Amino acid sequence: MSDCALVSNVSEHDASMEVGNEKSLFEPSVDMMVNDFDDERTLDEEEALAAGEQHDPKAELNSLQREGDMPLEELLALYGYDKTMEKPPVPEPVPEVVPEEIEKAESALQQLYNETASPEATRCLRSGSRPPSEEEDDYDYSPDEDDWKKTIMVGSDYQAAIPEGLCSYDDALPYENEDKLLWNPSFLDEKVTEDYMKKICSMNSPTGVDAVPKGKQLRDDEEALFLLQQCGHNVEEALRRRRISAQTPAHASLWSEEECRNFENGLKAHGKDFHLIRQHKVRTRSVGELVQFYYIWKKTERHDIFANKARLEKKKYTLHPGHTDYMDRFLEEQEASGAGVVRPVSPSPMMEFGPSPATQPDPLALGEKEVFSQLNAHTPPPRALSMEEPEPPTGS
Amino acid sequence: MTQQKVAYFYNADVGNFHYGPGHPMKPHRLSVTHSLVLNYGLHKKMQIYKPYRASAHDMCRFHSEDYIEFLQNVTPQNIQSYSKDLLHYNVGDDCPVFEGLFDFCSMYTGASLEGAMKLNNNACDIAINWSGGLHHAKKFEPSGFCYVNDIVIAILELLKYHPRVLYIDIDVHHGDGVQEAFYLTDRVMTVSFHKYGNYFFPGTGDMYEIGAESGRYYSVNVPLKEGIDDQSYVQVFKPVISNVMEFYRPTAIVLQCGADSLAGDRLGCFSLTTRGHGECVKFVKNLNVPTLVVGGGGYTLRNVARCWTYETSLLVDENISNELPYTEYLEFFAPDFQLHPEINSTNNANSKQYLEAISKHVYDNLKMCQHSPAVQMTHVPGDFFPEEYRIKDEPDPDVRISQEEADKMVEPKNEFYEDEKDNDKEPPPETKDP
Repeated sequence: MSDCALVSNVSEHDASMEVGNEKSLFEPSVDMMVNDFDDERTLDEEEALAAGEQHDPKAELNSLQREGDMPLEELLALYGYDKTMEKPPVPEPVPEVVPEEIEKAESALQQLYNETASPEATRCLRSGSRPPSEEEDDYDYSPDEDDWKKTIMVGSDYQAAIPEGLCSYDDALPYENEDKLLWNPSFLDEKVTEDYMKKICSMNSPTGVDAVPKGKQLRDDEEALFLLQQCGHNVEEALRRRRISAQTPAHASLWSEEECRNFENGLKAHGKDFHLIRQHKVRTRSVGELVQFYYIWKKTERHDIFANKARLEKKKYTLHPGHTDYMDRFLEEQEASGAGVVRPVSPSPMMEFGPSPATQPDPLALGEKEVFSQLNAHTPPPRALSMEEPEPPTGS
Repeated sequence: MTQQKVAYFYNADVGNFHYGPGHPMKPHRLSVTHSLVLNYGLHKKMQIYKPYRASAHDMCRFHSEDYIEFLQNVTPQNIQSYSKDLLHYNVGDDCPVFEGLFDFCSMYTGASLEGAMKLNNNACDIAINWSGGLHHAKKFEPSGFCYVNDIVIAILELLKYHPRVLYIDIDVHHGDGVQEAFYLTDRVMTVSFHKYGNYFFPGTGDMYEIGAESGRYYSVNVPLKEGIDDQSYVQVFKPVISNVMEFYRPTAIVLQCGADSLAGDRLGCFSLTTRGHGECVKFVKNLNVPTLVVGGGGYTLRNVARCWTYETSLLVDENISNELPYTEYLEFFAPDFQLHPEINSTNNANSKQYLEAISKHVYDNLKMCQHSPAVQMTHVPGDFFPEEYRIKDEPDPDVRISQEEADKMVEPKNEFYEDEKDNDKEPPPETKDP
């Protein structure tokens, strides 16, 4: 078996698996010469076997008969052939032949499954079962004995306790009061809701971020729909209340310049460990807010400038090795995810520094179509965020 | 077919967790998905719930108490004092301890659990929780980025009302946690389509794993190889699910829509497009059985958001344009800004013969369920009606009703009572003859 394993191991490594090469693999290696080709022992064994067969010629016939009926795969297994070994000597299985019996069908299925097995080791779910190192010589590839295979465990430690029979919620729902219905479409006609949404859209003050055209799509406004429901689906009442509340700014928690800068410093110091960033740099925000901010931030010009600067600094660092460089990892990821693509303007509600149309008029005046055409023409569009901007008022 | 009522469960905070530097699981994909759903105008088509948050008690309906207590107490700050437990519970690389871990579990589990309750109450026909679907979690330990198995807990809830629940899993990874939880029972059939072999996580899901004891033949596995495309996938998905429906006749379905089976996933190796993935969801929706739809894997953020947004639109029967609407995340979708991006198809390692053979293998095993005496084919719970008995909206008295509806209103000759007193729902034999 060990020689088989050796061969299959070699063929595993040889992704091309050319038939021509296969023959040369059967030449006895040094290992085979030493262990299995011990002439005297082999001779002894053969004599013993032959002696056994002479005692019962019928048994020999029977066993031959059995082997004749055996599916090829089992036969190979019986004679110590590895699964991967069966490929070269066996002619391609004819696909039209679908055996009637289930057992045979299964082995044919297994064969079909193995036949297309790709030599490429695929990625795992981060850790978990990793392939053994390539250097391991005694790695025996056999789908039935592989150590990566896990089994489904059986026992009270593993299965769920299935409730007996069926029941009904006699009492009120146990959690009824703890969820919150925010919208139910069945009270109003779709048309009415749509008209309401249109009116809400037109009511939004045309300054700052809200001035960016949103395209033809009629977008939903969670708050407005919730308000409509709170007003008992009375459209007029909801619009009236909306008008009153529209006076107060919706974006209550804009990030200040200081917070932004601290966040970036934190990212530089701790990588994407938002827990540490919060602990050491941005104490005014929760980890959740940091995470949310990060995803908006990473697609802005501010991020591009940050990343470029970090790249330059990184070059300096390479002259002084020994620093733990979180930026290294960060930048690699950025490059892998294809950052640096020319982007259209993206003012985000969280990063807008004071609604001052005077400082950033161009992007807001552009229609979506124009933005896209700019993108196609590879003209860098104006950015909503700029480092050169004057120190903004702290929104809080 | 009547319009199916859709309920959507979303907690605005569930996307603001982070597994740690370099970890491929990004809960923020849920925020991006929700933003697209909203900006496509799909929000107003559904019942929207801010869901209940699951308690430790709810989680212990499946998980061991020790394990849940550990999850509840461990934080990045006190992690040192738990070094023994970390090893015991296999916490670390794949399943790190991050800030807000228990809150995260409580949010996604609560949403799935509530979805199951709403289905049980007939409050909706389809319940959607994209934050759920963490199918690897085991009874006493986390696994593969999953800590609490919201699917198992939701199915246990469904089992209160439903004699047979079907679980379908189209994540690229095997749904091992759910299969293991219900390995010995015939009241849940688990069907998983996944990549199997060559050290692919989690290493279970062989075609010969079919369940054990009463659950023998009630675990169905369809192992596939890398590179499977839409056509091949659908070729095996549809007949397998049709056969499952015919032989098992579930009264509720849980569909796990892991988006790591899409082409270009960071951890996956299949070549499905958003359309092909959605085709499976549409097929299950059209079975017209109460269904809980949950998320799952999916590690290329932009594609996950595209996929689940598109599937939301399919579930509410709404056509949405290929051009993505403006959102604060628009630039994640560069350079094409489309719902269905072009994909580079890789080599499909699944031969047609193999797919046919595996479908037949599944069919042969399913035939064995038919003769299983343990399936409760006759028992119908008191308040579960077939579709035509459900309470309909009050019809307009001025509109003439159709002949078909009029036929349904004909009362059997032996009908003496109405409503509660009505003991004989079976029509008398003579009316059966045409």
